[in-house]
Amino acid sequence: MIKANNVHKYFGKLEVLKGIDMEVHPGEVVVLVGVSGSGKSTLLRCLNFLELTNEGTITIDGKKVNQKKDNLAKVRAEVGMVFQHFNLFPHKTVLENVMEAPLMVKKMEKSKVKTMALDILEKVGLSDKADVYPNKLSGGQKQRVAIARALAMEPKALLFDEPTSALDPELVGEVLQVMKDLANEGMTMVVVTHEMKFAKEVADRVIMLNEGVIIEDADPDTFFNHSKNERTRQFLEMVNV
Amino acid sequence: MPVPEIFVTFYEVFMQTYKGFLKAGLLTIEITAIAVVIGTVLGVIFALMKISNSKILQTIANLYITLIRGTPLIVQIMFLYFGITSIIVLENFWAGAIALGIHNGAYIAEIFRGSIQGIDRGQREASLALGMNSSQTMRRIVFPQALRRAIPPLGNQFIITLKDSSLVYVIGVSELFGLANRVAASNFKQFETFLVVGLYYLILVLIFTALLKWYENKLDVDK
Repeated sequence: MIKANNVHKYFGKLEVLKGIDMEVHPGEVVVLVGVSGSGKSTLLRCLNFLELTNEGTITIDGKKVNQKKDNLAKVRAEVGMVFQHFNLFPHKTVLENVMEAPLMVKKMEKSKVKTMALDILEKVGLSDKADVYPNKLSGGQKQRVAIARALAMEPKALLFDEPTSALDPELVGEVLQVMKDLANEGMTMVVVTHEMKFAKEVADRVIMLNEGVIIEDADPDTFFNHSKNERTRQFLEMVNV
Repeated sequence: MPVPEIFVTFYEVFMQTYKGFLKAGLLTIEITAIAVVIGTVLGVIFALMKISNSKILQTIANLYITLIRGTPLIVQIMFLYFGITSIIVLENFWAGAIALGIHNGAYIAEIFRGSIQGIDRGQREASLALGMNSSQTMRRIVFPQALRRAIPPLGNQFIITLKDSSLVYVIGVSELFGLANRVAASNFKQFETFLVVGLYYLILVLIFTALLKWYENKLDVDK
């Protein structure tokens, strides 16, 4: 579904990604972990072309993306993204947030979009908030709207960039539950997170980044219980699992 | 106690001139309104040029803003009036309004540029990540939010425009200040006449300020 080949990314002279190779298969949930500055968020943003790679290729659903020539908006329309700080549109209601992209990008009929948007809001448990503006929502509700907004484009895969890091602890659960449900429905997901419990329970694979390099790529059981990698074990000790 | 002389003459001047000043006031409002529309349109265009990726567009916008901000409005009015009327026939009213509009465009461009760049980067990213293209992102997501932010400084700029419209008297437009000049020259009561015209400007500004405040409150409530 998503494939990165020898991806390099520089910010000025600083090399943030040093030749990343990874593949995410359809229906797979891959969790990206690593200390801050390891490049995991940058990698995720490269997969959606919010950052352009300096070298290497990214393949989405079998098509190698040419960053210069391809219509990146079209590519992005097929891969959803959920941000740490939600980034909901504050001048639009919850419903309008969810309806915006299908209306503008897919040019779908308004009544159909509305029905679909309400269905999705129902799914994330927020149909009663449809006509509310985002500033009236809690962090957890905001993030569920953000997930609904991404789902409305019927993406082939979803990228999550630390979706629970900006939440109060008691609100983390409701967001993780929505993500679990999605995983169970077979959504392809790449998740950057510090929620190790989520990684253990939901991930098919855990990928560990360190200084711009993938140092481990394993199933959760191996990763958490039998890792032979020194850095991984240090990291797991640090995050206390 | 007798009423002081100044109040009597002020009252006389007021009563003798109010019909003319009401007409002139309408002209002032018209010139301001036209200048505000032209200025806002130019402001949006040049703000977008300035934040675009094209070096050429950026240079054009910078040149425009530098020239306008670097020269007095009265010179721009004269320059444009004699420049345009040497090519096409144009009423001095329109020449004045257009000059004032072009002048305002530069300041409004800077207001819009600031408010667009003040919108959180995440808004643009979220929009792009949904598959919207750059122009949809600007039009639907970034600009509406920037506009909200721009309203207080825009209102301020519009008040400046209203007052600056007095300068078109130099090309012979009989708006408030132009008329005051003529009246003062004929009745020799300069002090009272300019007091009267000052009052008219003050009233217009106060009305506009109140409207602006009402609109800002309405926006706050809506959100």
